[in-house]
Amino acid sequence: MEQQITDLAAKVAALETSSAMSGTINMEIFYWWCTALMIIIHAGFLAYEMGASRTKNVLATGMKNLLAFAVVVPTFFLFGWWIYLAFPAGFSIDEAAMAGLPWSENMGPNAQDNASGIFWGAFALFAATTSSIMSGAVIERIRLSAFLVLAVVLGSAVWILGASWGWHPAGWLTASWGLHDVGAAGCVHLIAGAFTLGVLINLGPRIGKYNADGTANAIKAHNIPFAVTGLMMIIVGFFGFLGGCIIFVTGDQWTNIYGQPATLSAFSFNTLMAMSGGIIGAWLKTRDPFWMMSGALIGIISAASGLDFWYPPIAFLLGIFAGVTAPMVARFLEKKGIDDAVGAVAVHGYGGVVGLMAVGILGAGYPNMNDMPSVSFTGQFVALIVFAALGFVPGYLLSYAMKAANVLRVPYNVEVAGLDLAESTIEAYPESGASPRPVTSPSPAAVPAE
Amino acid sequence: MNSSPITTWEGAGAYFTFADKPAVIAFFLLAATVACFGAIVIGFLHENKSFKNFE
Repeated sequence: MEQQITDLAAKVAALETSSAMSGTINMEIFYWWCTALMIIIHAGFLAYEMGASRTKNVLATGMKNLLAFAVVVPTFFLFGWWIYLAFPAGFSIDEAAMAGLPWSENMGPNAQDNASGIFWGAFALFAATTSSIMSGAVIERIRLSAFLVLAVVLGSAVWILGASWGWHPAGWLTASWGLHDVGAAGCVHLIAGAFTLGVLINLGPRIGKYNADGTANAIKAHNIPFAVTGLMMIIVGFFGFLGGCIIFVTGDQWTNIYGQPATLSAFSFNTLMAMSGGIIGAWLKTRDPFWMMSGALIGIISAASGLDFWYPPIAFLLGIFAGVTAPMVARFLEKKGIDDAVGAVAVHGYGGVVGLMAVGILGAGYPNMNDMPSVSFTGQFVALIVFAALGFVPGYLLSYAMKAANVLRVPYNVEVAGLDLAESTIEAYPESGASPRPVTSPSPAAVPAE
Repeated sequence: MNSSPITTWEGAGAYFTFADKPAVIAFFLLAATVACFGAIVIGFLHENKSFKNFE
């Protein structure tokens, strides 16, 4: 009898160990595929931005997009992950940051650690996505090297600091203000949009965008079907992004990043409803397929902060609201002399504002964990100010310094001739006759908008 | 040079190449850092050269 009990106890212990290991492996598998889906976001941005550019700049635009990904990943290894672990309390360094130092035992293959690499990978893709948000706005005139520096700062420093503050179970924006930003509308989209606005102010508009009287010309995309398809791919990849926003707890219910119970079912309801609302809203406002697809994106962003708790028809209506109003924000910015080639500030910056404040207005009162403050309008508003400033100030100051040093923008003649001639060794459409034009006249008045 | 930090898989923890040799890790980390930022610098220099063709 005693032997049977001993054997039984041993079997139970073995089963518990095996079950725990299965849970760990399943967690890794889940985030692996989320990371893979997030790479589709980059395929989408690649198509979207290349389609949005003119033929003379198409390959340079693509190269910029690819290189952003390529420099954000290693810099996120070098210092980005450490920043996330280091600063949840503000500017003092948390001892948990030791695990994020690039020479740490957790920052490489480790048989006792199935989590660090997979979480680092998911966050690295978040980082690359954040810098990609900027890349479309600045096409056709930013210097590639300048853009890469800005991409590293935004992707591996600025947004991840914001995430440490407000997308972390112990981040001070949640611990002190009850911030609820489950789908990262604030810490990814608002920060990226604000950073981009700071850069655009110093970068200036494309040649031919504005007339002498200040009125704007439409600089037409060379391939709208490609751009729209790219935007749809971003939506597919967004499911990986949002999957990465939920926490797989072995043997227990999912939680959001703040440790509050959540379900993928909730995300499924609200992501699809918000996306649909965004398409409808943008269609009603613009009848423009480019904006309709952007509407899908802003629909999701507008519902992202409360993706875990919206009643789905609310997510749908938020999407419609955002889809209708985002083109208006884009038009307002254009009238103010901000040449945002793809509407990134309107879609992501404004979308992030809507996302955060929708929770403040319609989601106030949800409880937090461990005696931290409940969700409130004030808490969401404080986070809005913090994220906007965290994005805008570095973007503006760094691009200002680059502009002063004359390293931010390509020279006039290069922009007129087309960036592909300067940056790519191959042609995009060698048989079409749509090769970049040679430089003709140095006079700005002689260069019409295309 | 033996790059493996482990001699058996039993109880292995960090097993990445040279995990037990901090100086080698430091070397490769520095090399990766130089390569990453060096590429941006090389890109900047190439742009300067390329832009001259348009003057």
